[in-house]
Parts: sequence; structure tokens; C-alpha cells
Amino acid sequence: MKLLMKAALAAGLAMSATSAIAQVKIGALYPFSGGLALLGDESFRGLELATEERNAAGGLNGKKLEIVKGDAVDPNQAVGEARRLTSVDKVAVVFGTYSSSLSLAATQVTELAGIPYFELGAISDPITERGFKNLFRSNPTAKDFAASMVDGIAEAIAPALGVDAKSLKVAIIHEDSLYGQTVAGYQSARAKEKGVNVVETLPYSAKTVDLTPVILRLKSAGVDVVLQTAYQNDAVLFFRQAKEQGFKPKAVMGAGGGYSLRETAQAVGYENIEGALDVDFTQYKTNPAAAPGIGDFVTKYKAKYGMEPRSGHSLANYVGAKVFFDAMASAKDLSAPAIRESVLKIDMPIGSTASGWGMKFNDAGQNTRVKPFLMQWQGGELVTVFPANAAVAKMKTGLGQN
Amino acid sequence: MEVFLQLLINGIMLGSMYAIISVGLTLIFGVVRVVNFAHGELLMVGMYAVYLLFLKFGIHPYIAALPVVVLLFLIGVLIQRFIIQPLLNADEHIQIFATVGLSTALVNLALMVFGADLYSVNAPDVRRSLEFGSFRVLIGQIVMLGSAIALVIGLHAFMQKTTLGRAIRATAQNRNAALLMGVKVDRIYVISFGLGAACVGLASALISPLFPATPTVGTYFVLTAFVVVVLGGMRSMYGAFFGAMIIGLVDSLSAYYIAPDLKEVVYFAIFILILIFKPTGLFGLGRGTE
Repeated sequence: MKLLMKAALAAGLAMSATSAIAQVKIGALYPFSGGLALLGDESFRGLELATEERNAAGGLNGKKLEIVKGDAVDPNQAVGEARRLTSVDKVAVVFGTYSSSLSLAATQVTELAGIPYFELGAISDPITERGFKNLFRSNPTAKDFAASMVDGIAEAIAPALGVDAKSLKVAIIHEDSLYGQTVAGYQSARAKEKGVNVVETLPYSAKTVDLTPVILRLKSAGVDVVLQTAYQNDAVLFFRQAKEQGFKPKAVMGAGGGYSLRETAQAVGYENIEGALDVDFTQYKTNPAAAPGIGDFVTKYKAKYGMEPRSGHSLANYVGAKVFFDAMASAKDLSAPAIRESVLKIDMPIGSTASGWGMKFNDAGQNTRVKPFLMQWQGGELVTVFPANAAVAKMKTGLGQN
Repeated sequence: MEVFLQLLINGIMLGSMYAIISVGLTLIFGVVRVVNFAHGELLMVGMYAVYLLFLKFGIHPYIAALPVVVLLFLIGVLIQRFIIQPLLNADEHIQIFATVGLSTALVNLALMVFGADLYSVNAPDVRRSLEFGSFRVLIGQIVMLGSAIALVIGLHAFMQKTTLGRAIRATAQNRNAALLMGVKVDRIYVISFGLGAACVGLASALISPLFPATPTVGTYFVLTAFVVVVLGGMRSMYGAFFGAMIIGLVDSLSAYYIAPDLKEVVYFAIFILILIFKPTGLFGLGRGTE
């Protein structure tokens, strides 16, 4: 009897020992402090929710996922934290990163260490253009944003106006740092490819205190559609001064940034930003028919954090993390080549995830089945208006309430 | 032609905005001889003060000008008394480092308190545009131009006619001689820095309705303000005013006719040319007075 108990005890100990081992450590590399912390944390919440959901459903083939956080405040620290995660904490994979410069730095470390890196939110194209084998990105890139904007002119704006797309005079204006330069560069290339009539391309400094000369140029050129890539200050200036100068384009479209932020809309005034279009990560006023599970996500988010999601970043991270967890589960082991093989096998059509994106990865590790939606400010909310199956409201033309 | 005239109008309005920011900097530089790198951050503090008064009490920015001018005067006095004064006999680099440090501290304080988002005072009456034929100008811009002119004339009169003004000018011209004549130089410095900061307080009340407040808003204006001050001959109020007008016009015209991202290149090129051919600035009093 005594022997039996001893054996049972030993077995129990052994079992608890194995269950302690039966964990998969995953790294979470985001800016948790410093200037990028707000949206870094918002991004992390998506990963956190996906992890909890996975663990509640039995984990990764019976093994629990355990998040190890790395705080990447700047590129230097991103490198340091990536080294710590891969060599000290010995994580199986790393998720990240929200900011492109952090991602570019951290992924070099993981690539050298042979640890898979799943990028869920950084949009700079070159991240997946460096020939890395163990880097995969689920979110759309700057090029995808630019393509959605330019294509939106012919596919959404021209039909709404009831005119031929070729007859619309388009202007590209952008702030002249890396963000604006990159997006505007892709826009120009796409516009050329699609035969869009671009009449003005005007870069300006985001620190400018006056955009009236830009607006007067657009006005003199008789511009119908303005594509702007802007931070907050310049987006506010543009809307205010366009109104003051009596410039009334048929459509204005922004590439995320300042256009997606509520504070921008408040500073401009809801009645003045009414009708402004925006291309960004999927936001929450989207038809669930095109983004199955989006409502579920918001419910879970509110239950855990007690507030509405602060931006679309959490959703983008949640969607990407779920897909990569599936790929890890179906890989034959957690070695880098096995995970790569498994990720490249993913084949999900557009409209099958909570952000509406499909998932199909090319050789460079980039998801090629993403086309960001067109959203519009209507009544103080950013609502999805295009494509039709994702729309929750009809697209308006013109700018400001008449 | 129509566009050209509209650009001229915009340039003058932009110039008056630069002028009203630069007057305080000119005063501080001319009298205390300190290059105040925290000048833009004083503007930022003023703009947040105007915003808070508007948010909490619904006070119109133009009425908020009064308490904000007083607040900025006091802040200026404190900066001079506790940061600049102890360093008055130190190397100028040390003074510059002190103001740069102050500037960084204020920006980060604002980031902590308000976050990185922008806040805007909602004053639609100020933002209404008046139309003269096909030309447009905002009410807020006209008020700014009027205030800039009044401020420059008023400060000039104050400097010429009052005893305090004379003492300030004497201190600016020769600190030691003024000291020997019985001028309390330390107090003059404190008052001058306070006055310079108070001018920024007025500027922040006038700019707030037109421009949203962010922690870094000062950096948008301050470089231009330095150009204006040097262009105007460092110590001359009228010089600063006309320097600001020149920059405003160049800014407006070159952004339209050349390219919006090259306007800084144009006015810095003009700035460098003026410094080469007239090193004391357009309205400078000649070598050795700066």
C-alpha cells in the first residue's frame, strides 16, 4: 500500500513536471514604453487575446502557450530584446512589432538565430524584401495601402460620382518624411500603371504651419480627387484651410496616419471631415459578412480590457496570431523549417478572417491576399464603405456637410 | 494674378503670426543676451493653457489672453530668476544648454500630461473667412495682424517713453554702465524675460484658434522665429516685424511657385545672402551693437 502511494506520488510529480515542460514559450516584441507605447500595447492586446483563446481551447496540441514580453522602445533595444528572447528565454517563435523600424532591426537577430518571426502589424515593404527565410507577415504593406487608394478612384469614387474615372483630375500630396515618401511613391507607380490622371504631386513638410499654397495649387489645377498621406497636424491644417480657401474637391482620401485618429476628426470638426475617405487596417464598423468574427473579437476585447478597442491594430494582430498558431499546430515540430513549410501551406480565401483578409504567403513570407478596405468619416465615425460586401454605409461624395 | 494677390494676403497674415512670436524672442535676446531655445516651448505652454481655459471654463481664447499673458510673465520671471540668473556670468554655451534642457523638459512634461495627440480650441467665429471679392482672409488672421502692429508700436513706445523702458534699453546697451548708473540690472533682466514670455502668451492666445496644440508645436515655429530675429537685426522690434513679413511672403510665394517642400530652402537661401551682405541684419545698428 505504502509502495503504491509512493508510486502514485512519484507519477504525480512526474506528471506535473511534464505539464510544466509542456509549454511553448512565444516572444512578444512590442514597444511597451516610450512614445510608441500606446499603439504598441494596443497591438499586443490582439496577440494576448489570440493566445488566451488558443489556451482555452486546449493550447498548441495540448501544450499551453506562454507569452514572454520584450520591450522594444527603439531599434537598439529591439535588437537587445530579440537577443534576450531567443538566447536567454529560448522562445520557439517571436511575434511583433507594430513599428517598421523596430521590426527591421529585430528580425535580423531572429533570422540569424534561426527562430521564426511573425510580423503582425508593421507595414514597411522592405521588411519582407530582404530574402529572409524565417520571417512571415500577415498584414498588408504600404504598397497594398497605396494600391487600394489608387484603385478606389476607379472602383469606388468614379461610380459614386457617375463619371468616367479617366476624367477625374487626381492630386497626390504627402508629408515628406519616410512615411509620406514611401506611400506616395507607390501611389505614383500604381497610378501610372492604371492610367490615372495625376495632375499634381506635392510633397510638404509635416511641420509646416501653412498649407494654403498647396491648396491654392490644387484649386488652380481644378483637382477632383486628393490623395493625402499625412500625420495629424498636417491633416488638420489641410481640412481647415481647404474649407477656408473654398476648395471643394469631389473626394479626399488619406492613407491611415492622421486620417484614422479621432483626435484629428475632433480638431477638424466632425461636420468638416464628413466624407473624408481613409485606407487603413480594418476598423470595427465593418460588415461581419466580409469579416467573420469581428463582432466576437470586440466582445472579447471589451470583456477583458473593459473598453472599446483603441484602434484596428489589436484586430490585425489577433487575426495574424490566430493564423500563425494554426500553422504552428499543424507543423510536424516547432523547428524553423517545419514552421516555414506549414506557413507556406496556409490557403485562406479573402473574407475568411475577422479582419476580412485572406492568407496566402509567398516565398518572401509576405501575405499576398490582403486588400485594405475603404473607410469614410460619416457622422463622427469611421465606417467601411467599400467593397460593397464589407460596407456598413453607402459611400458619400464631396467633403463637409452641405 | 488673383492667385498672386491671395498669396500676398496669406503671406502677410503668415508674417504677422511669425512677428508676434518673434517679438518676445527679440526682447529676451536684445536685453538679457540669452538665446532662448525654450521659446517655442513657452508658446506650447501658452497654447495648452488657452486650451485648458477653453475646455474647463469655456473661455474664448481672446479673453483667455489676459490670464495667459500674466501666467507666461510669471513663468518668464521664474525662468530668469532660477535658471538664467545663476548662470549669468557663466559661459554662453552653458546658458544655451540650460535653455535647451528646459525646452526638452517642457516637451516631455507636455507628453506626460497631455499625450502625443493634438488638441484644438473650437472658436468658429475666429475661423470664419471674410470674402472680399474672390479673396479670402480669416477674422483670426486680421486680429493677429492688428495685434502684431499694436504690440510692436506699444513696446517701442514703452521702451522710449517710460523710465523702466529707458532702464531696459540702458541695460541692453551696456550692462556695466547701467549698473554704475544705479539701474538694478538683475531686476531689469527678470522683467525683460517676463515681458518677452508675456508676448509669447499673447501669441499663444491668438494662434490657438488657428493651430492645434501638440507637445512639439513650438518646434514648428521657433526656427522661423530665430531667422526672423536675426534678419531683423537682433534687437529691433520694427526689424523683427518686417523680417517676419519678409519670411511670411517668401514662405507663401515660394511654396506656390516653386514647391511646398522647398520653401524653407528658399528662405534660408535669402537669409544666408542677407547675412553675407549685411551681417547685422536688415535693420541692425551696425557692427558691435548686436
